[in-house]
Amino acid sequence: MPEKSSPIAPADDEKRKTRYAMVIDLRHCVGCHSCSVACKSENEVPLGKFRSWVKVIEKGRYPDVSRQFLPSLCNNCANPICNRNCPVRATYIRPDGIVGVNQHRCIGCMYCMASCPYDVRYINPLRKIVQKCFFCDHRVDKGLEPACVETCLGKARIFGDINDPNSEIAQVMSTNPVVTLKPDLGTEPHVFYIAADYDAMDPTSGVDINFILFEEPY
Amino acid sequence: MDPSNVNLLYNSPHQIPLGILLAQYFYLTGLSAGSFVVSVIAILGGKTEYKPLGKIGAVVAPLCLILAPMNLLVEMAQPLRAWHLMTYLPGYINPKSPITYGVMLLTAYPISAIIYAFFVYTGNMKMSKVFAIIGIPLAISVHGYTGFIIALGKGRALWNTALMPTLFIVSAMVSGIALMILAAIIRNVYFSQGKTEEEIEADRKLIYGLGKFLGAVIIFDLFLILNAVLVLLTSSKGAWHAAELLLWGRYSLDFLGVEILLGSVIPLFMVFYPKTATSLKGLTIASILVMVGIYAMRYSVVIGGQSVPLH
Ligand code: SF4
Ligand code: SF4
Repeated sequence: MPEKSSPIAPADDEKRKTRYAMVIDLRHCVGCHSCSVACKSENEVPLGKFRSWVKVIEKGRYPDVSRQFLPSLCNNCANPICNRNCPVRATYIRPDGIVGVNQHRCIGCMYCMASCPYDVRYINPLRKIVQKCFFCDHRVDKGLEPACVETCLGKARIFGDINDPNSEIAQVMSTNPVVTLKPDLGTEPHVFYIAADYDAMDPTSGVDINFILFEEPY
Repeated sequence: MDPSNVNLLYNSPHQIPLGILLAQYFYLTGLSAGSFVVSVIAILGGKTEYKPLGKIGAVVAPLCLILAPMNLLVEMAQPLRAWHLMTYLPGYINPKSPITYGVMLLTAYPISAIIYAFFVYTGNMKMSKVFAIIGIPLAISVHGYTGFIIALGKGRALWNTALMPTLFIVSAMVSGIALMILAAIIRNVYFSQGKTEEEIEADRKLIYGLGKFLGAVIIFDLFLILNAVLVLLTSSKGAWHAAELLLWGRYSLDFLGVEILLGSVIPLFMVFYPKTATSLKGLTIASILVMVGIYAMRYSVVIGGQSVPLH
């Protein structure tokens, strides 16, 4: 009879499935934007487009004021609507949970961009296909951390396998309160935040939605 | 926190991925489906005086549907890869995506509509009835699926409602009937040489009847819009912002001004007010207003739905 796996003594290590995820600990984030820069140079992200960026808001009234940051990227959801809606299977889910886009299959219909609840995808204006953050899977496959994680000077970003109880991310997630963006949508995002600000997480906070400037997709 | 105490300093740009061409595509498939349904009702209705309507619809429907996908090709970033959608190989297409079943419908429906038109014009009533019955579910689903494209766009609060496919089909009927009225009026005024006075008068009676039918469908459409708006106002925060954009914000002119007032309320009055309801001029103006109104509806749903920021 197979032994029941308990949370303390994890089941057979061989059979355990890898699930990559990221924790962003905002207590350590100083809002330096070096993750955005590292991502741009690592992935050749074109001008005006971002795979990873830091949203910044100001809140309060003088003298009780603060700046809040929200580093944003594709959540590599476990139940991603972009994958469900892609007509040609260009968007795929790797067994380790990373959501990728096949650059040779994407027909550029932009339906994924319209359905993603986090608006993290963009059309590469030079190659005319959809791109987004995929946790630097080319680095991860070589045993490196994603570029943004490696460069983060406050060590606010932690990347790893949440199913490996010995990984730093699993330990941080077990011992801290974490939240995701829009959990109610059932996309099961796998970018978790510690100490994220309510207003920074609210897309319509601090803006007049009648006067937002929109960009052409490409 | 009080919203007036929050200031956004920096964010990445917001995008509207699906643009006006997609709205135009929805509009044209709607016209096609609507006029096909009217044509089939006329053919299956049995009475010989309805036949002319059947003929008009049989031409208009495939014409609109050939124009519609052109918009998609221009909108796509990789139009040369569009054939990937038509491989129909299980590993290459995703059966869960509404675009996939849309492509199948976009292949089957025009073919059946053209065969139908062929039989209507060669006067083969039996075969045209067969293809009418095949075509009806295809016509309804070719437009219904565009409603699913919108409804399954989960991130957008305005789109992600179960009402969308029905609303799209009903508004397609509205614009299709209006187009049929226009075509029938043109036929009546400019192509009636060699007909007796009675025939022309009978033709006009038919057009007035179509006007009443248009009014009934507009009422149903307005009821559905009321449903949608009331739920938006009480649902999530994103939905509330979508309602704000449509009712008193950026798109209120398109929605309240053009779609509701010009495109529904005024034509509704015109098709039931005896003076305008029995004049070809009055019905022409009403139908043009309706067609402009439905265009504004597609625009405010597609563009307005994507105008609520998501990050
Ligand atoms: S965040 Fe958006 S693009 Fe990324 S996996 Fe989730 S649904 Fe897809
Ligand atoms: S734009 Fe590309 S990745 Fe997105 S849904 Fe279309 S084919 Fe799929």
